[in-house]
Amino acid sequence: MARGTKNRHVGIVGIGETKFSSHREDVNQPEMIHEAVRQALDDAGIGIQEVDCVVHGNMELFEMVHQPDLWHVLGTGAYGKDSFRITTGGTTGGTLVCAADNLVASGMYDVVLAIGFEKLQEGHTTGGITNMADPLWARKLQSGALTDSAAVKLIEEFGPERAKRAAMTYRIIMDQHACLNPNSHRAFGLDWDQMDDLMADSPPLIGNLRLIHMCSQSDGACALIFASEERARRMAKRPVWLRDHITVHREETLNLCTNYYPNNPTHRFAAEQLFARNGIDDPLDYFDVFEMYDPSAWWGVDWLRDFFLLEGDAHLKLVEDREIAIDGRMPINPSGGVIAANPIGATAMVRVAEAAKQIRGDAGPHQVPKTVRHALASSFGGTMWTVLLMLEDELNGWGMP
Amino acid sequence: MQSDFDTSDCYTIEGKLALPYTYFAGRVGSRFITTLRDQHKIMGVRCDACDTVFVPPRQTCERCLGDLTDSWCEVGSRGRVVNFTVVRYPDRHLPRPVPYVLAMILLEGADTPIVHLLEGIPPEQVAVDMAVEAVFAETTTHTIRDIDHFKPCDA
Amino acid sequence: MTTYFGVDVADVIETMPSRFRKEAAAGISGRFGYDLGEAGRWRLAVRDGDAALAPAEDLDDCLAVVATDPQTFVGIQLGKIDATEAMALQKLTVAGDRGAFGSITRLFQKYLPPGEEALPDTELVVLKQTISVGQTFATGPVMGRFLKGLKQKKILAMRCPVCGRLQSPPREICAVCRVRNTEWVEVGPKGEMRMLEYVYYASPDPLTGETRETPYGAIGVLLDGCRDEEVFWHLLNPAQLDRVQMGSVIDGQVRHGSRLRPVWAENRTGSIDDIQYFELDD
Repeated sequence: MARGTKNRHVGIVGIGETKFSSHREDVNQPEMIHEAVRQALDDAGIGIQEVDCVVHGNMELFEMVHQPDLWHVLGTGAYGKDSFRITTGGTTGGTLVCAADNLVASGMYDVVLAIGFEKLQEGHTTGGITNMADPLWARKLQSGALTDSAAVKLIEEFGPERAKRAAMTYRIIMDQHACLNPNSHRAFGLDWDQMDDLMADSPPLIGNLRLIHMCSQSDGACALIFASEERARRMAKRPVWLRDHITVHREETLNLCTNYYPNNPTHRFAAEQLFARNGIDDPLDYFDVFEMYDPSAWWGVDWLRDFFLLEGDAHLKLVEDREIAIDGRMPINPSGGVIAANPIGATAMVRVAEAAKQIRGDAGPHQVPKTVRHALASSFGGTMWTVLLMLEDELNGWGMP
Repeated sequence: MQSDFDTSDCYTIEGKLALPYTYFAGRVGSRFITTLRDQHKIMGVRCDACDTVFVPPRQTCERCLGDLTDSWCEVGSRGRVVNFTVVRYPDRHLPRPVPYVLAMILLEGADTPIVHLLEGIPPEQVAVDMAVEAVFAETTTHTIRDIDHFKPCDA
Repeated sequence: MTTYFGVDVADVIETMPSRFRKEAAAGISGRFGYDLGEAGRWRLAVRDGDAALAPAEDLDDCLAVVATDPQTFVGIQLGKIDATEAMALQKLTVAGDRGAFGSITRLFQKYLPPGEEALPDTELVVLKQTISVGQTFATGPVMGRFLKGLKQKKILAMRCPVCGRLQSPPREICAVCRVRNTEWVEVGPKGEMRMLEYVYYASPDPLTGETRETPYGAIGVLLDGCRDEEVFWHLLNPAQLDRVQMGSVIDGQVRHGSRLRPVWAENRTGSIDDIQYFELDD
């Protein structure tokens, strides 16, 4: 895939995240967003006057309000500023990061505030996602983001026993991480000895996909402030550099084809392209942490193979040997991931925010217990839309001609 | 581009977009509505830094991002028309049969006008600067319609 | 007095008529049953915007009956438990006219424990509605021709002139090759099942505003004449959900799924409903 080079480096200098929950009745949408904006500004040590441009996004129409960015000026600080609205389904948060990166890297803006939010309690998530499908055909057949296909695929390849245990192992590890993250929406405190009960008793949603495997539906907002290298170096905290990102999708997936096999996932294509153009041969070795957008435990397990360019059952072994735990060889979602909190329009941005916190070393109780210099973050959206982003601790020669 | 586009297989299918939703007014919005409902009083908030009284109230000043949570003030239920329009196209989603008047009304003490219905006067006679007053609703809907409409009054 | 979440369930039930928002209930009438386990069985009668509640053993005359345990009931009324999750967990079931019941639940003001109503700072306004907007969908020439084919009990596909793959329902272009599809081909109507989504979760259908009946099966069928990824997406006869087998092709190894045939609607109008569903081709 053709790609140019940046005009200048871009750093993340401010991070804001609300606590994710399902009962934020005390705030309306702009008020909830403002909580994250305020945190990000305070984190960067700047006032809203220093922001040149605001990019804003969520799942369109999920709260049954069109173009909410106009209303949200009451909380975003976009009054009198250039502003863009971006809505790309589940990847919105990640695409917002890509947009902010491009806007600063281009030289057009020095400081960009990116805001992703969702208030899923004000809408119906599954109904809203179903509404995205082709009205003459798929809309009658689809049920939101719920599918058994990931489970069917893993069970076909590895047998029901091993596949189901791997998915549940992944789920429990994600919950353990969620219990360390004060911002999580759902942290159940699951125990290893509950595994058999959960596999048998958790109510099924579709086929082998059970309620316990599936992500939350949360309210929440995330705000990130991006700055050019020169401005970033002058700001308070240590900047996290956005090295590169790639966006791949397969638009026709949901409209017409069912998504079983040989469903060419976009994940491997995205990983191959991104790593090749950055000279990374062994991503499992290179990266220190991965905040992956995992809408369900089944997909979480399945996509490890594609993102790390693995073969055979290497990804299952990563899960079975608990290498994906916070103190493992490749920590996955120390924040608890999407299963623990999913305010959709913010979720993909939260992956970047959490990866950035890991590099800064200030994630708090869910900080990975080793030096984090290279972080990976992903976003996922309905039509097998993948955004893959690389974050770095230092500028040391990469990325410039 | 094809200019001889064959439309013989084109037709349309009627459908719907029907989804449930919920709206949370939040603390500030709720106080505004419950005060309208229970006390027939209209509340605004004041940003001291921008020297502006906002109606309807909001938690944050959009211009300076100051916190307005504890800066409540009451504004009058009377005001003057600063702009208006006459709605003439009928639609089942609209609050009144046409024609009806939507007016921007600057209430006493407020710096931002609100939009509401203006009744009790033929549309041709509505004029900017007219004095109007709020008529509160008998039953609540927990919305801005707890003010049912505005009507002309003595200046 | 039995309390859940610190609230007396009897008070929640008894305040239902007073919390009923008559101004929003115009045109709604009927009887609705509440089977609340140890908290008893109740009938809510709605007419001309008024709601009356009385204990009732027999709820057979109700348009819809909701059955749940008292804790779930109180939790939903307080907004602490999400009703849809409760349904997914099968802690709440609705028998009868689900749509009518759904519209009723949105008409109650939120329950506030005694003493809390008076404080202006604690009352939080929450509005619930269903937006319903009429929409008109255009078929375009390709989908239009395909849908018309269904009227004649034919399932049509288009073939890409470059890679040769079939798409049904068809698209004007092959997205992989980025060329216009040119050839129409009839496929099926029978085929074998490749994928089954056995759906337990009841979600609202935005095309109708109704909650879908569950369980149902959304299937991928490999119709005769198609191969590999060229599966056709439709529904399975829900009575046969437990009798069908998925097929697959993994690394060239073929496992055949259940053989299916379409069941055509009597009255076909050129839409997805012209096929009711697929069923086993015994």
